[in-house]
Amino acid sequence: METVARERAYNPFEVAQSQFDRIAEQIGLDEGAKQLLRNPMREFHFNIPVRMDDGATRVFRGFRVQHNDSRGPGKGGIRFHPQETIDTVRALAMWMTWKTAVVDIPLGGSKGGVICDPHELSMREQEQICRGWVRQVARDIGPISDVPAPDVMTNSQHMLWMLDEYEHITGTHMPGMITGKPVGMGGSLGRTQATGYGVIYTLREALREKEMDPSHCIASVQGFGNVAQYAIELFDQLGGSVVAVSSWDQTDRRSYSFRRPGGVSLDELRSITDRFGGIDKAKAAELGYEVLPGEAWIEQEVDILIPCALENQINADNVDSIHSRVRIIAEGANGPTTPEADAALRKRGVFVIPDFLANAGGVTCSYFEQVQSNMNYFWDMDEVLGKLDTIMTAAYLDVSNFATKKHLEMRDAAQVLAVSRVAQSCRDRGWI
Amino acid sequence: MGDRDNHGVDLFQRRADGRGSGIDRIGRGEIGGKASGLVFLRDQVLARIDASRFEGIVVDVPRMTVIASGVFDRFVELNALDPDELAHHDDAWIAHVFQRANMPPTIVGDLHNLIRGLRAPLAVRSSSRLEDALDHPFAGVYGTKMLPNNQHDSTTRFKRLIEAVKFVYGTTWTRTARSYHESLGEDIGHESMAVVLQEVVGRRSGDRYYPDVSGVVRSWNPYPFPGCTPEDGVASLALGLGRQIVDGGASWTFCPRRPRIQPPWADVADRARNTQTGFWAVNMGRPPVHDPTRETEFLVEGQLTDAERDKRLDPIVSTWDTQNDRLRPGRIGPAGSPRVLDFAPMLQFGELPVAELLVELIDVAREATGSEVELEFAIDFGLRRDDPARCRVLQMRPMAVHGGTVEVAEDELDHPETLVRSTSVLGDGDETVHDVVFVDPETFDRAHTREVAEELAELNATLLAERRPYVLIGFGRWGSSDPWLGIPVQWGDISGVRALVETSLDELMADPSQGSHFFHNLVGRGAMMLTVPRTTPIAWDALRALHEVRRTKWCRHVRSDRPLRLRVDGRHGRGVIRTDDR
Repeated sequence: METVARERAYNPFEVAQSQFDRIAEQIGLDEGAKQLLRNPMREFHFNIPVRMDDGATRVFRGFRVQHNDSRGPGKGGIRFHPQETIDTVRALAMWMTWKTAVVDIPLGGSKGGVICDPHELSMREQEQICRGWVRQVARDIGPISDVPAPDVMTNSQHMLWMLDEYEHITGTHMPGMITGKPVGMGGSLGRTQATGYGVIYTLREALREKEMDPSHCIASVQGFGNVAQYAIELFDQLGGSVVAVSSWDQTDRRSYSFRRPGGVSLDELRSITDRFGGIDKAKAAELGYEVLPGEAWIEQEVDILIPCALENQINADNVDSIHSRVRIIAEGANGPTTPEADAALRKRGVFVIPDFLANAGGVTCSYFEQVQSNMNYFWDMDEVLGKLDTIMTAAYLDVSNFATKKHLEMRDAAQVLAVSRVAQSCRDRGWI
Repeated sequence: MGDRDNHGVDLFQRRADGRGSGIDRIGRGEIGGKASGLVFLRDQVLARIDASRFEGIVVDVPRMTVIASGVFDRFVELNALDPDELAHHDDAWIAHVFQRANMPPTIVGDLHNLIRGLRAPLAVRSSSRLEDALDHPFAGVYGTKMLPNNQHDSTTRFKRLIEAVKFVYGTTWTRTARSYHESLGEDIGHESMAVVLQEVVGRRSGDRYYPDVSGVVRSWNPYPFPGCTPEDGVASLALGLGRQIVDGGASWTFCPRRPRIQPPWADVADRARNTQTGFWAVNMGRPPVHDPTRETEFLVEGQLTDAERDKRLDPIVSTWDTQNDRLRPGRIGPAGSPRVLDFAPMLQFGELPVAELLVELIDVAREATGSEVELEFAIDFGLRRDDPARCRVLQMRPMAVHGGTVEVAEDELDHPETLVRSTSVLGDGDETVHDVVFVDPETFDRAHTREVAEELAELNATLLAERRPYVLIGFGRWGSSDPWLGIPVQWGDISGVRALVETSLDELMADPSQGSHFFHNLVGRGAMMLTVPRTTPIAWDALRALHEVRRTKWCRHVRSDRPLRLRVDGRHGRGVIRTDDR
């Protein structure tokens, strides 16, 4: 009940629009550009009827929002979530536009979703949702128009069902229609690691700027899904240590934090984690982890916080509980910090690497996958990660230099850069 | 975060030109022996040299980036590579396994960025923990790969670079390296490898990229020329890449303090016959067949006529005037005239103060390190006549000099139970062994020296495993890269040897190659060497009479019940191997 109440109070699209309005004002964007960019260019809302395993028919609500494609084909994931709303999808589509622009890859921003809870669906039922979703938007997506990808509670299997349905409809082979496919079936090596690694590539550069040695830094991570796990892996390789992680417990319908002051063991936690990133709390306790309430991840005495779960996790209610030792927040999740919390962090001098920069590794590798799929020629891991690091680091340095030059916070600098690039491409095309 | 480590090496920064200044580092850990030597050279040797004394030539170290040893450790861990497991496979398989492995994600971005800003040919060299240590010389044990790095597409250059780094990594666990570690009592699992990425010195001529001169200079010469002392040092020069010298190919050897003293060749014809005829260069032309496991993948061998066409010979060559049977400095007469690479215009006529510079380098380096030293360098004369020549020091390593404790009297050479006697020795020692391996003079055929080398490696492995030091007797130049000049063993193939006997046959005579890695390892390990001329017989019958442990197609392994005594007196140049009568 509490979560639902907060969802009503927090409208991500309003947040995205207010962020945009502030930036538009700051760079003196003309009215036409403002009108074009503060709303999606296209939206698709549709029903997906599915015959369930028990023989009953259920109708799921699906969306695809294409915010802006002036810089290239739309790009954005498909979320399966019981609390999905069109405003969440709109906000995330807009953020995808800024994200592809800030890392300077030739793509636009889109997002899709289905209101459903995969935990309660069989694989066959999920497959029917995937195929039904594609049947509804097949005419409006594709390798040269809008390229979906996995997101919250969707994975490579879902992508493959969607690709298969799309190819069946069009009578072609078009692996570039979707990304996040399994390796060997049009997927790219490094895709699984990309978002988490990308977070740490930007964090590494921030640590260099702040003259902080990673081997002397400890971090707390929210979430234990794909992004969090690979972020922990690379942070560990840089010499850092993660002392707390949190994860969602599907049985208890609440989250827990798991703490070990000497540093968590990634391999150990992976061995007791379900496919959605839920850590078995009983086994964790047996392994010597302290099992704490879900919110505890944010209160840890650490140098770095890495939120890698859902949006709206650092907000006005909990921002004051962040420990005074924290110097950097690397936003692995989309929109984890509300504007109120952002303002409070700014006042405290906490350095925030904004979400659409920090977690752009995923979309960057999706772009690599799309390029490889369209060529039907695939790169090795070293090449993928070498290029990923280059793009992420260049993007971070662009934003950081711009922020220093213009005396801006990182989020504002990233948004100004991104919005300016998108607005310019709209102007270049003669749209505005 | 500290951007400079305790060697004074900056952390690699992604700048607009993709390159930091001078020497920088990627990753954590040690920078290894080779890189440490160069940092020391930059800070403690070159900084003390008054460059203005050497007109027309500047000296420095090439720009380089070091991939620190922690990256190798991580690479091994990430790909679950196990040296013990790979020990059951041959070197080709090990190289293949390393090529299939992935580089750590923490550094691929830096390498990608580095290569985007770099278009010059690159040398990718090993710099291991033990390499170039005074008591553990590992010269030539690990691989080096040269890359043209001239592909238009940065992705291709990146891939070649990654392959080259993995190639060097793979050589950490080869049979040669393993055997070498065993001979030192070191666990190969403890070895860690840094990699040096160094710009290749030289310039492009057609499809070849090479320096005008490569060289090795040593501050101590165990075989001094007449009129010189060991302390005068010795230098070897060659045209093209230094591989020519360090692999034991033909080169010009001289005393840097007395460059006008001619090496003891019999006559001009003899000198002309033994001159360098080919040279190594980086292949800048059509890409070869892709083979990332081959060290020479991007190397090409040129002939002197090619270098003449490239107009690279004038300052380094003499022409054989056959009518008057004399050498005339410079390139005289039409192309195709007999040339001798004796560097006379430079050394005899002082067109460039190279000899003086080498003397200064070894003197300052000896003082700075407190030990004898060996330096590898390359010189590029520049494109235009008025460009200063650029001498770049590629490597500096200490030299272990053993000597001065054993005295072999002249009459000892006549002892009745002597198996081998020599008046030209290297090293110093008084030891006993029981085992002798010799190349059988009755069956020896220089067309089959590679097979001999293979058999010796096998025998060495057995003797090493049994911890039995031994004497090795063979023909021609040990460690020669040219199988017609001697037996082309690598040091790891004979690493258990205590005394090496080099003798001649009518058909096979060669001088020791002083600049070679093989020679360096021999001296560095304190092994002794006895050179026996054709005229001094070896007691073959007595050797054959010993208990034969094993006979292969070309070699024999014999064992004496009584100890065999090795006595080598480097100071007086005398040595004997005989049955111990104590």
